[in-house]
Amino acid sequence: MEVAVFSALGEPSRLQIVELLGRGPLGVGEIADGVGIRQPQASKHLRVLAECGIVGVESRSRRRIYHLEPEPLDRIARWVDSFDQLWQDRLDSLGNYLQTHQNQEDEP
Amino acid sequence: MIPQLLSKKKELHFERSYAAPVDAVWRAWTEAERLREWWGPDKTTVAECEVDPTVGGRIYVVTMGSEAMGKYAGTRWPMEGTFTHVEEPRHLTYDARSWTEGSEAAEIRHTNELTLVEDGGNTALTLHIDIAEIGSGVKAKLAVYGMKWGYKSQLDSLAQQLTN
Repeated sequence: MEVAVFSALGEPSRLQIVELLGRGPLGVGEIADGVGIRQPQASKHLRVLAECGIVGVESRSRRRIYHLEPEPLDRIARWVDSFDQLWQDRLDSLGNYLQTHQNQEDEP
Repeated sequence: MIPQLLSKKKELHFERSYAAPVDAVWRAWTEAERLREWWGPDKTTVAECEVDPTVGGRIYVVTMGSEAMGKYAGTRWPMEGTFTHVEEPRHLTYDARSWTEGSEAAEIRHTNELTLVEDGGNTALTLHIDIAEIGSGVKAKLAVYGMKWGYKSQLDSLAQQLTN
């Protein structure tokens, strides 16, 4: 799941779109202008971003308005948290190891 | 629902005190046969382990899920790094990347600084991990567009926009 999100964000125009949408929801024309690409390209990038859930879209009158969805970004945040937890456990484990090892060395 | 990722600090900091002399803690970190005894968290084993604690030397540890991990049994989580500073027995730094085999695109690149200080038979350990990059190449691009992990006023507006 994260892999799709990462590869989607790994494309410079798409990352720029995410940055742009961070300031507020926009239509495809504004997005294309903001990023400096043609509208069909913008649509293509938006499709990729929508497929992995980074952007959502709603229709307002006759316009389609794109916005960021927080879920995939939250998921990456939780993944970073798991890295933190891994190290907490690992350093506990080092403590147990040192204790056991120390006792062994203390033995005659 | 706020995308915490973008307001998250990218640095991890740990401090511990162990009832062991500094040499014992140093050796636990720098001798492969010792390191593999404690490196893997619960329900994992260390499948491969190499440590060459010299500047430019390699640290390579592969943790593997055991049967007790159910669907993660057999999954391999390598960490590969290069020592950039080694001062026995109190200070070492290494640059590394950690990933899940088969999902290389989602690797974490991190720099690590370990400091050990002995005080009356106890050893204070400080470990500082700076997550430099998440996912291949994302950081470089983030830098290009002024998007850094953490500390971003722009992201406050993002958060605000998302709560509206």
